[in-house]
Amino acid sequence: MGQQNVTDLLIDLVSYSYDASDHNHRPEAAIWPIDTEHVSRILSLANEQRIAVTPRGAGTGLSGGAIPVFGGLVLDMCRMNKILDIRIPDRLTVVQPGVVYADLERALAPYGFFFPPDPASSSVCTLGGNVATNAGGIRGAKYGVTRDYVLGLEVVLPDGRIMKTGSDCIKSSSGYDLTRMFVGSEGTLGVITQITLKINPKPTSVETGLAWFSRLSDAGYAVSDIMHSGIIPSALEILDDNTIKVLREHGKMNLPDATAIILVETDGYTDTETAFQMGKISEVFRKNAAVGIRVANSPEEVNEFWQTRKLIGSIAAQLRNSNVSEDVAVPISKVPDLLTGISMIVRKCGLPFVIFGHAGDGNLHPRIMFDRSDPDQTERVNKAVDAIFRLTCELKGTLTGEHGIGLAKAPYLKLEHGPIAVEMMRAIKRLFDPNNILNPGKMNLESSDGS
Amino acid sequence: MEAEYDFETKFRDQILQCSRCGFCQAHCPVFGATLRPSYNARGKMLILKEVIDKKLDLRNEMIETLFQCTDCAGCSKSCPSGVNVPEIIKQVRKDMVNIGICHPAFEALNKVLKKHTNIYAEAERKEFNKKKIGRAQYVYFVGCVGYYRESEATLASLKLLDRLCVDYTLIDEVCCSGPLEDVGYPINEDLVQKNMGLILSTGAQKVITNCPYCFRTLRDQPQYAALKERGIETIHITQFLKEFDLSVKTSKKVTYHDSCDLGRHCGIYEEPRDTIRKIAKNFVEMRHHHSEALCCGAGGGVRGGFPKNSIKMARRRLIEAEEVGAEVVLTDCNSCRHNFSNAKVRRHNFKIYTTAQFINELLEAG
Repeated sequence: MGQQNVTDLLIDLVSYSYDASDHNHRPEAAIWPIDTEHVSRILSLANEQRIAVTPRGAGTGLSGGAIPVFGGLVLDMCRMNKILDIRIPDRLTVVQPGVVYADLERALAPYGFFFPPDPASSSVCTLGGNVATNAGGIRGAKYGVTRDYVLGLEVVLPDGRIMKTGSDCIKSSSGYDLTRMFVGSEGTLGVITQITLKINPKPTSVETGLAWFSRLSDAGYAVSDIMHSGIIPSALEILDDNTIKVLREHGKMNLPDATAIILVETDGYTDTETAFQMGKISEVFRKNAAVGIRVANSPEEVNEFWQTRKLIGSIAAQLRNSNVSEDVAVPISKVPDLLTGISMIVRKCGLPFVIFGHAGDGNLHPRIMFDRSDPDQTERVNKAVDAIFRLTCELKGTLTGEHGIGLAKAPYLKLEHGPIAVEMMRAIKRLFDPNNILNPGKMNLESSDGS
Repeated sequence: MEAEYDFETKFRDQILQCSRCGFCQAHCPVFGATLRPSYNARGKMLILKEVIDKKLDLRNEMIETLFQCTDCAGCSKSCPSGVNVPEIIKQVRKDMVNIGICHPAFEALNKVLKKHTNIYAEAERKEFNKKKIGRAQYVYFVGCVGYYRESEATLASLKLLDRLCVDYTLIDEVCCSGPLEDVGYPINEDLVQKNMGLILSTGAQKVITNCPYCFRTLRDQPQYAALKERGIETIHITQFLKEFDLSVKTSKKVTYHDSCDLGRHCGIYEEPRDTIRKIAKNFVEMRHHHSEALCCGAGGGVRGGFPKNSIKMARRRLIEAEEVGAEVVLTDCNSCRHNFSNAKVRRHNFKIYTTAQFINELLEAG
């Protein structure tokens, strides 16, 4: 394997025991693969020896997908980090899985192109991780998520075979869509070693606005009304009253004392175009009883608006030593119900919480802060999360809009998908990975008895 | 659970506050050079968290990560959870030294400073033909790197002060002793007393420091508090030069590297730029600048303890100078300059100076 590419040092094993979730487990060793052949050799050996292999990107996942719960080997893909090709006429780029999102963004910028999903961890997360979790971000409403951009993959199967999926074409109706099968598969079917991504021309004009409301429901209705206006904003973020309070009190931010704030961005290729869109959206806000609306007039103001959104996580995190951050999503029209429902559930558990998220694509982030060392608080958090998942499924929503199932949400997979779909997922897992060596213990794929 | 180490008592809450988001990976120069997550701030905090939880004890194997931190503060500046990693690392190193665990290079540094008056254990130094221990308005405090490794840059800065008719004196200075604090040892009081006595004997009102680390030490360490009490202000040469009208210009493309000590640790970003903009109209910023600047890789004892990775870090920074097509890279830290000089390869066709050194060269040429 190459001595310099393998480690069983304690310091590395500690590092690879964690990701950004609340879970941890020690691997026995870790490998930094250098190319596809290397991955292939590792997997065929692991398959023969029945060694668990957990692929890992930057370890920024929030659902425990990269935790080696069965020990074994961690494959840290971050050293396979070359951008292999940028083909503007074909509207695509070919990358290795360890390329950091922000590095691709920088490489595409001179061409006036971008890869839109923009996850919050974009400065560190890897594209392999993005594909494996079908990562999303603030631009979901208009630009979709990682899945919408993956044209093809090179994947090493658990027995070491190297498979190509998809094509370099923007369109393809050819055969089963194996590419999509791997997007969001969380490293349970194969190890992604090369990714072909569709890219978009980057809009050159952007307008940013902020509206605040005295009733959460008004903000919720404004969100679904925007869709009637014919405009799809490039970002539509919502902050609830707790979030506003936390930002005002702990972040010392100059925000209106409101029950809900919506941050909106429109983009396009001329200022007239973005201003027109923003005008339409402002009308919707006014119609839905917005108490105030501000449109940014300078880059400083744009920055100030976005700081409001970007600092929530960090300011909220400082309230307690632990927090759970969920990413449930519902059809956009159900956002008001989800907002008020989550508020009611979490208020009962008596712990500080905030709700914010991507209202434009129905994806909300309730975040509950607690002290992990206190079993009572932990228990209350678990109950609240359970209730949130149940509410989400009642609203025909999904457990995870962009983080993945991993460990944290594994027990709820059937709640969302039902027994038949879960059994089919397990059958697919067995087909690709009969010895269950790849990222075992995730996504509730182990048992086949229908339980 | 009872705390076994001082770092637990002082920083338990902060360490547990780390949300493991991993965003520090974008800033950690050691991770950047090695792509090894255990060297990143998160990797370090996870180990300490397990020590707090009594799952692990501090041990030799941890030297490789806990002593491999350049104290650049890139992580803490951007940490969403507000974890002050450099302060935690400093304390952990002390705890480790207390139980007899230390990187041999750092142990050696402590021994050296017990016997010698400079970090390099050098017996002789360049004396720059300057009068010493005279009375003057300013004391110019050079620092070990300036005396023993970057004497050319130091000499140029002295010449510049002469040209600007500054009433300054050198002193028979010894190591400020600050670096010991970074690598697990207490400040050497003998060295501090020697420096303070010499500074006070000059009657100077200000100490101009050449080295940003000496600047931090003299200005902020409680052992040097007597200076402030006696009304003596410590400033860095960049703050001093900013006040002068310099009559030279260059058409060369110039960029500036913020040293971590001057920038993130002291918030001095604009003073050097004010000076540089006066002389260089073709000034460009590198990709990472101000509080986002990449570390040169020399700090926190890393150049001595982990020289290979230290050079890798410096090369990463020099790539950014190449990217903007700089002909001149300025930095106001001798230690950064020194590491960059060591990391520079033939392909790099820019020159690296301290700002004072560059200005002096322009004046000499003109």
